[in-house]
Amino acid sequence: MTIGLEEFLIVGSLLFCMGLLIALSKRNAIGVLIGVEVMLNAVNLTLLSFARFTESAQPIAGHTFVVFVITVAAAEVAVALALAILIYRNRETVDVDQFTLLRS
Amino acid sequence: MPLFLAEMLEVGVPTIDEWVVWAILAAPVVSWLLIIAYLRKLPAIAGYATILAVGVSTVLSFVVLFNVIDATGGPVVFSYEWFTAGSVVVNFGARVDGLTAVMLVVVSSVSFLVQIFSQGYMAGDKGYGRYYAHMSLFTASMLGLVLADNLLMLFVFWELVGLSSYLLIGFWFHKPSAAAAAKKAFIVTRIGDLGLLAALLLIWARGGTFQIDEIHQLAITGALSSTVITWFALGVFAGAAGKSAQFPLHVWLPDAMEGPTPVSALIHAATMVAAGVYLVGRFFPVFEASADAQTVVSWVGAITAVVAATIAIVQTDLKRVLAYSTISQLGYMMLALGLLGYVAAIFHLFTHAFFKALLFLGSGSVNHSTNTFDMRQMGGLYKLMPITFATFLIGSLSLAGIFPLAGFWSKDEILHDAWGHDRVLWAIALGVAFMTALYMFRAIFLTFFGEYKGGQPVDHHDEESHFHGDPAHPHESGWVMTIPLIILAVPAIGAGVFNMAGITDGLARLLTGALPVPDLHEVSFDWWVAGSSTVVAVSGIAIAWAIYYRRVVESSALRDAFYPLAVVFERKYFLDNLYEDFIARTVLQRWWNRLLELFDTYVVDGAVNGSATVTREVSARLRVVQNGQVQAYGLLLVAGVIIIVAAVFTANPL
Repeated sequence: MTIGLEEFLIVGSLLFCMGLLIALSKRNAIGVLIGVEVMLNAVNLTLLSFARFTESAQPIAGHTFVVFVITVAAAEVAVALALAILIYRNRETVDVDQFTLLRS
Repeated sequence: MPLFLAEMLEVGVPTIDEWVVWAILAAPVVSWLLIIAYLRKLPAIAGYATILAVGVSTVLSFVVLFNVIDATGGPVVFSYEWFTAGSVVVNFGARVDGLTAVMLVVVSSVSFLVQIFSQGYMAGDKGYGRYYAHMSLFTASMLGLVLADNLLMLFVFWELVGLSSYLLIGFWFHKPSAAAAAKKAFIVTRIGDLGLLAALLLIWARGGTFQIDEIHQLAITGALSSTVITWFALGVFAGAAGKSAQFPLHVWLPDAMEGPTPVSALIHAATMVAAGVYLVGRFFPVFEASADAQTVVSWVGAITAVVAATIAIVQTDLKRVLAYSTISQLGYMMLALGLLGYVAAIFHLFTHAFFKALLFLGSGSVNHSTNTFDMRQMGGLYKLMPITFATFLIGSLSLAGIFPLAGFWSKDEILHDAWGHDRVLWAIALGVAFMTALYMFRAIFLTFFGEYKGGQPVDHHDEESHFHGDPAHPHESGWVMTIPLIILAVPAIGAGVFNMAGITDGLARLLTGALPVPDLHEVSFDWWVAGSSTVVAVSGIAIAWAIYYRRVVESSALRDAFYPLAVVFERKYFLDNLYEDFIARTVLQRWWNRLLELFDTYVVDGAVNGSATVTREVSARLRVVQNGQVQAYGLLLVAGVIIIVAAVFTANPL
């Protein structure tokens, strides 16, 4: 059995769904962030698979996107962790269920 | 004068300077603007400004009349485009023909004399400046009404006339009865005006024009179906019936006597109430084309004449006798118009304007020295007020139709037309002529003969009253009031010369010249008709003399003898009860308002409350979704995306 585009896409979508599940269900803010990271990497995997297995006039477009996503994700993690620490300092918890300030 | 007119007829060249026509209208407009802007606090000048302006209009009206006589009544039109609405061009223009010229002279000259009389009658009134402002506005509107060359412009001035009438009836608005009378006049005439508005819209929709001569042509050529013509004619007549106080819309005119007496003389006797007759005369070719409309007009006129004359017999207020007399005479004119007696009707309008204005001013003169209009408080005034008595007698004889006064010739012509067309209507008209003589001389004997009964004592606590004399010792009014009476007595005697049956036909030529198909009205003299009308008039006077002077029979005994009938007359055929108690109070205030209340409770409030309830219920169920948890929002977002993706793929399968 050869491993082709289809298998990579299956792995990518499974990873995405797991990440989504984590992001929506974890009560710990750090856990939610980890879920988001998993989803980002699932997308990265999908992009790279398309870049590797399809003919294109711009063969490295997928790679370029992935490099950008990694960079932006790093920045996002830095900001998000800073926010999490700030929230913890103010509320002494990182439980997202407690953060219902938007509800009047 | 007849020979002079006949010579003028031969010339036949219309030469009217345009500025003359517009100046007639502009002069009172200018005085009105000046008074409301600057002169309200300067009453002396306000009075003279109005008299001067109306004087200018009067002189120019005579200039126009003589020029139109040159043109044998043919129309001259000065018209400018006012605005365009779709395919209809509406003009602002003046149409001068025989009918217009006659009306111009009547309106401006009677107005002129009334303004002079008012100087004496209104002297010392707090609203003197305001009075003259309203009078100027009225005169301007009335002149505009008769000059208008199209129906829309006519309608505008028609409503302005109604407005100024309202302002003047309610002139002493601090009296509740005057305020109520003004409202009543405005509302009742508005019911008729609705008909005129409907006619206006109908001719606009079907005929596509407002120009009077084009409407004439539409009627003559039969370009419009007879149904449309009939409805148009009936709509116009409804407007005329409101303004000219025809049954059953006549109820406002007697109440309008709450206004100052010169106002009653000018507006509610001589000019404005004649506007309805003028309107029907203006659209005479349309009425000629519709037999149904003619029947309606003549019978409404006949009913009005009888109803008003019978009520006039039992009135105790001098001014109300004259008011019902006016309604009755207007009914006479309508009766004539319905029988195609166009010349007869306008001729009667012409003579009636003078002698009825004279009678009203005479009653004002009496009021000025006795402080009352109640004939039961008068009597014996002929010695004390000889000029007023003499002129009042002349007016009454003219109104009663006694040879050779003006009223004889015009009333005779109406009777002659009725005799030729419809004997039933002729008999009714003859009966009304009898009653006219009876009630007028009843009024004369009660007012001027017998013992003086003291008038109405002056109420010195009433600060609004401007009465200065001593009612216990009545005296003749000043020159400023008697001179207009004397001047008006001249046409009341002699205005018949313009159209003596079988002798002169100057007015008939002038009036028929205004019609699109000039058809010279044959004026013939019928001894039988003239004789019968004279006999009934003299017998009416004789009966009044017997009852109210010689007291052969006590009037109270007569009242008992005809008890049910007398009550019907005294209660004015219960029409006021029908309108006020039944229609206004019961139907409108009770039933209709109850209906509106239900509508308000269940439909209006229901819609408002219902929408509030729906919003509240829906939001109560949606509120749980907004719980403030980011993860819940994210879940909904994903669910939304899934639904959209599923929908897209279902619609476009791969």
